[in-house]
Amino acid sequence: MANKYSWPEKPALLGTSVKRLDGPDKVTGRAKYTYDINRPGMLYGKMVRSPLPHARVVSIDLSAAEKAPGVKAVLAHVAVGAQVMYQGDPVAAVAADTEERALDAARMIRVRYEALPHFANVEQAMATDAPAVFPGGNTRQGATEETGDLVAGFAKAAHIVEATYATHVITHVCLETHGCVCEWDGDKLTAWISTQAVIQSAQQFAQALGIPQANVHTIMQYMGGGFGSKFGPDSQGIICAKLAKLAKAPVKLMLDRKEEHLDTGNRPSATAHIRAGITADGMLTAFDGQSWGTGGAGATSGFPLPYIYNFPTRKRTHKDVYINAGQQRAMRAPGHPQGCFLTEILMDELADTIKMDPVAFRVKNLPPAAPNAMWAEYFARGAKAFGWDKRHATGDPTPGPIKTGMGVSAHRWGGAGQGSQAHVDIMSDGGIVVKCGTQDIGTGTRTIVGMVAAETFGLPLSAIKVEIGDSLLPFSGGSGGSTTAASAMPAIRVTSVDALEALFAKVAPALGTAPENLVAEGGRIFIKGTPAKGLSWKDACKLIGTEPISVNGKWAQGLSGSGTSGVQFAEASVDIETGIVRVTRILAIQDCGLIVDKLTAESQAYGGVIAAINFALFEDRILDRVTGQMVNPNMEMYLLAGMSDVPKIDIMLNNMPERGVIGIGEPPTVSTASAIANAVRNATGATIRSLPLHPHKVLAALEQEKAGGTN
Amino acid sequence: MKHLTSPKLTPGVHCLNIRHKGMFVTSGPDPDEFAFYDKYDSTAYWCVETSRGFGPDGAPVRPDCCSGERDCCKH
Repeated sequence: MANKYSWPEKPALLGTSVKRLDGPDKVTGRAKYTYDINRPGMLYGKMVRSPLPHARVVSIDLSAAEKAPGVKAVLAHVAVGAQVMYQGDPVAAVAADTEERALDAARMIRVRYEALPHFANVEQAMATDAPAVFPGGNTRQGATEETGDLVAGFAKAAHIVEATYATHVITHVCLETHGCVCEWDGDKLTAWISTQAVIQSAQQFAQALGIPQANVHTIMQYMGGGFGSKFGPDSQGIICAKLAKLAKAPVKLMLDRKEEHLDTGNRPSATAHIRAGITADGMLTAFDGQSWGTGGAGATSGFPLPYIYNFPTRKRTHKDVYINAGQQRAMRAPGHPQGCFLTEILMDELADTIKMDPVAFRVKNLPPAAPNAMWAEYFARGAKAFGWDKRHATGDPTPGPIKTGMGVSAHRWGGAGQGSQAHVDIMSDGGIVVKCGTQDIGTGTRTIVGMVAAETFGLPLSAIKVEIGDSLLPFSGGSGGSTTAASAMPAIRVTSVDALEALFAKVAPALGTAPENLVAEGGRIFIKGTPAKGLSWKDACKLIGTEPISVNGKWAQGLSGSGTSGVQFAEASVDIETGIVRVTRILAIQDCGLIVDKLTAESQAYGGVIAAINFALFEDRILDRVTGQMVNPNMEMYLLAGMSDVPKIDIMLNNMPERGVIGIGEPPTVSTASAIANAVRNATGATIRSLPLHPHKVLAALEQEKAGGTN
Repeated sequence: MKHLTSPKLTPGVHCLNIRHKGMFVTSGPDPDEFAFYDKYDSTAYWCVETSRGFGPDGAPVRPDCCSGERDCCKH
């Protein structure tokens, strides 16, 4: 039901494409990321990490490092006798007056290890004769999910596909590495930290250091990527604070690229052996899947399976497998890209058993359409826009080594948020300051906070001063799960409306009317329906007096929603002589409720698609199967797309203002890899059931196809 | 503190030091989530005392093993 806080029916700004408020600051270098923070007398921290995947610490000798030039603090992070569980597990740290001296001193810390048995991959950990490496077992069997009579489901099937599908481990590869700058003033800590959760980082600093939360001030104005991996200080943050305390000086501790790959999270692997059945006319009947994956040392690896499509009878068991590698963290739509891939490749295989068009087959097996389940419409719109009617059957018949194909895939995400608070000041000079303890993790939050306020006050975005990214501001949640916009925007709207009402109360007497008769539009406050009877914003604010209008507010029901759906189409070409895959086109159709800023919403989709191209074609965390060490912990051999690898990407956003604001950070990255893999299958006729689609794997699949078939 | 509660953790059962991302995100309910796939757990857990995925005793941090039987458990 509409109320005074409802989103405007005819917005001036919302839904338009507005450039980022902080764009000029970023491109000119004025924007200060954590890495750019330099404090007077600041030292540099470096960590010493385990080179072994599993070992007991026998001794730690800090003495040489303590005497090294420029060294101001040295500490052991673990006790003698403790176990390190993966390569990169933190052991000790040092702070010195230059980065080079800190690095030299770190090398002087002598740690002796007793090597212990380790697992570098799931096969080793799942072997029947595997040694007991993890307390409680090397694997953990999850609950079995079962719906309907599986035997009856398979009995109805005219065709059954049985195969094993898999995705690999990738790391977050944040361009700005994890880290912080810590400075003490007595027992009060200020930390500039690269985080997705500025207020929540203060809480974690306080608890880990045993100090009152009120004594911690955290700041994050700009961040170079987090993707789910930056939700607290981590060990490097706590070590940084301890070094600063010991040295009685500010310390900067930013991780290097190798540390980033080893110890700041990853997307778990996923494997599933699946048996699925369909009727002769293309109805899914049954799904039986046994899945496993590794989230590293002692961590979970769950994912949704089957994904979206309606298998009326289904059974699924999952097993977490622990290996001696860095632990997983939430990574952009945790679990969904894996579950999507495993299901969507299967869907194309099933469609081929009855020679049915993959889009028609998917539409036939979707859950009922709903505002948060719009796949049928998106498949239809996308097929038309993408030229799906030009898709050939599996296997490009065109002569020559370059084969092209099309693929499709669907996804969904929640994206609901709540709980944010905000504060708005309107000053007598017309100035407006909007404050909220949310953070802009590169998604454009700063801009959309300003847009919602500007829309409410009838002013241009430039009239709004936005303050975010500071633990001293009104409470807001961490930026994860695509919840930021849905959490913060209602709070900004409510607080701005209340502030505007307070201003109307000041202005109404001067205009000889009641406050409820006033509106704010186009930089003026005037009597509804009579624009001439009013005041400019600036003149109206002169009536405020010396005490600014100062209003607190919070998130309210009805301004945000949950549940998004999307579909992606991909076109790829494959050189069957080299195995090289090139993605030539992507079409992403996505809803996100009310679009706040069309430009930044589209940017989210572009970024999600490009990240998923990396997942599909390039990224791969490779551990040496003998030593358990990562062989590509860098930006040279850990591959990412370059500019020339990024295809033409078209974004079609479905604006649904009646649903309120819903997050879009995660959903667009879910289905791209599946659509690409299906396009490769359509091009080559060979089914590659695991990611990444590296050339050697493509060539192997083509050889297998020649030798008897991958299908 | 609302943001330190979690449906995945039970006060009095699980250690007070266990953390996961969901405890720091003010997410609203997504009532239809399991209409489109069955339940699963992709959660990464950590210990706020050690700031890593292992507790002070060196064992992993997860709800199934941070529920009172470990010496480091806080209640």
